[in-house]
Amino acid sequence: MKARYLILFLLVALLGGFALAGGKYPMAEVVKALASQSVGDARAWSSTLKEMTPLLLCGIGVFAALRAGLFNIGIEGQFMIGALASAVVGVNAPAGPVGALLALGAGCMAGALWAAPAGWIRAYRGGHEVITTIMLNQVAGHLSLDLLKGTFQAPKSSFPTTSDVPESSLLPMILGTPQFSLGLLLGLGLLAGTWVWFKRTVRGFEHEAVGANPKAATLAGVDPKRVLFRSMCMSGAIGGLGGAIQVLAYERRAYEAFSSGYGFDSLGVALLAGGNPLFVAPAALAFGALKAGISGVAAIYETPKGVGLLLLGLTLVVFAALRYRRDALREAA
Amino acid sequence: MNLLGTVEGTVVAAAPLILAAMGGWASERSGVINIALEGKMLMGCVFTVLAAAASGNALVGIACGAGVAILFALAHWSLTQKFRVDQIVSGMAANAIAFGAADTVSKRFLDPGLTSFPSLPLPVYWVSALLLPALIWLFSNRTKPGLHLVATGESPDKARQMGLSPVRIRFGALIFTGICCGLSGAMLSTNIQGYANDMTAGRGFIALAALIVGGWRPLPTLAACLMVGLLQQLRIEMMGSPVFGVEIPGWVWLSLPYLVTVIALAGFLGKNRTPSGLGKP
Repeated sequence: MKARYLILFLLVALLGGFALAGGKYPMAEVVKALASQSVGDARAWSSTLKEMTPLLLCGIGVFAALRAGLFNIGIEGQFMIGALASAVVGVNAPAGPVGALLALGAGCMAGALWAAPAGWIRAYRGGHEVITTIMLNQVAGHLSLDLLKGTFQAPKSSFPTTSDVPESSLLPMILGTPQFSLGLLLGLGLLAGTWVWFKRTVRGFEHEAVGANPKAATLAGVDPKRVLFRSMCMSGAIGGLGGAIQVLAYERRAYEAFSSGYGFDSLGVALLAGGNPLFVAPAALAFGALKAGISGVAAIYETPKGVGLLLLGLTLVVFAALRYRRDALREAA
Repeated sequence: MNLLGTVEGTVVAAAPLILAAMGGWASERSGVINIALEGKMLMGCVFTVLAAAASGNALVGIACGAGVAILFALAHWSLTQKFRVDQIVSGMAANAIAFGAADTVSKRFLDPGLTSFPSLPLPVYWVSALLLPALIWLFSNRTKPGLHLVATGESPDKARQMGLSPVRIRFGALIFTGICCGLSGAMLSTNIQGYANDMTAGRGFIALAALIVGGWRPLPTLAACLMVGLLQQLRIEMMGSPVFGVEIPGWVWLSLPYLVTVIALAGFLGKNRTPSGLGKP
């Protein structure tokens, strides 16, 4: 277990260091800057925690579906649609805690609705959820951009964006240095809830049973179709909630290119976490630190934003290779 | 409406989709799920421009673009066939790495003032794209290696009993996938004579969609790609003006290929033709 993470870390650090410095700057210097920009001081921690929040929520969403054997690649679209719905409700609902609750609920509902077709097709019609969710991601992008340019565009704005959610409906910071948002606390609470749900409730156990072996689950009296559908909707709802929290805790509004790839990153988070929901938090923190560090370094060393995605992909490959190789060896033994 | 213009616009829009979809055909019919067509196309775009501009030779550019795309395809082969990594995970990672690498490489090494680079004339791509599906049909129905490939995708275990090596067949299939996606990317960058951020704009996913709607068969897939091309052309010609008295919003035009794919996967467009060995080791 520990050796795996060490090898992973060393390989990615080496490749990543090269990509970061691009041969122009001393690698050690850039890597040191990366560390100080992500965990060096209170300001750096603030941006790491900010990046961690959507990764944590989307990560929980992907994780929940993964336990039932579903690959929810559509979390990116659900996140965007959830953000849009919650921004629109947040702007139009009465300002205050009620407005915040309504906006969070709207995000959840929208995300679940966006995931539902993929869940239904997988459960009752046998169409692969990976393909449908990829397609629905593309549709979500086109639909939200159209709405942001049309119906929901802020008055007098020339950009595809909604109006700002009123100040009193926002989720406040509960710590000043480093900034720690109520949104992140909600995410951590949801994570604890997910753990309890999977470990201590019948429903959660049913999901894990279907994920482990649908045939055995059927024999035990579980209806896998219903579980798959429910699992996808749940995952979508959590993704939508992630979008809502992103709006209410940090961005105040939804706009074009709102998600900087959080949906994709969160797949990495969930895979890194493996089988235990509690590991989603450190995985989200690690990727959050990476994202924050790279945007910090970008300003000094002309590092392209793509390096973050490159590193994420490399991490995924190395981790997946180690993990599945071990499984294959165990099967052979 | 200018008919010749419509036909030309359709082919211009459809040709990169056809090339990528045929690449996807080889991979998926040999049993390897490939959601990373998009990433491989993007690599084709960047490295074609980079190498052609640096060497001053169009063919070197294309060879380099296709070469990097092949590297990505072979990485997918080795991860899924040797390391037994989940094919979706490997594809996701390949897309992430390709998006990241395209951004990194283009910002670090590409001259931002570049306005043109040595390239083959576009009709070369059009003709090869239109001919390729017919050749693939011949290959898969009339030749032994073609039948072996399809058989592997239907049932790798039975292929093994016949004495075939699925791992080796997939090696060849994925090299072909890399070439097709690389060419498709080279064509896109020839279209705009350069590289633009995220220039594939989801075309790899549309190609995958066309492959699925076409039931993993070359000629219906060609038809699906041409349909998408026609839709894109009609959108340019008719956006804003009502169709049969109904104003169709822009997002519906743009989303049609994806929506049709979702409906096809729900089994509402004929029977499910997914190769039955898809994703199996």
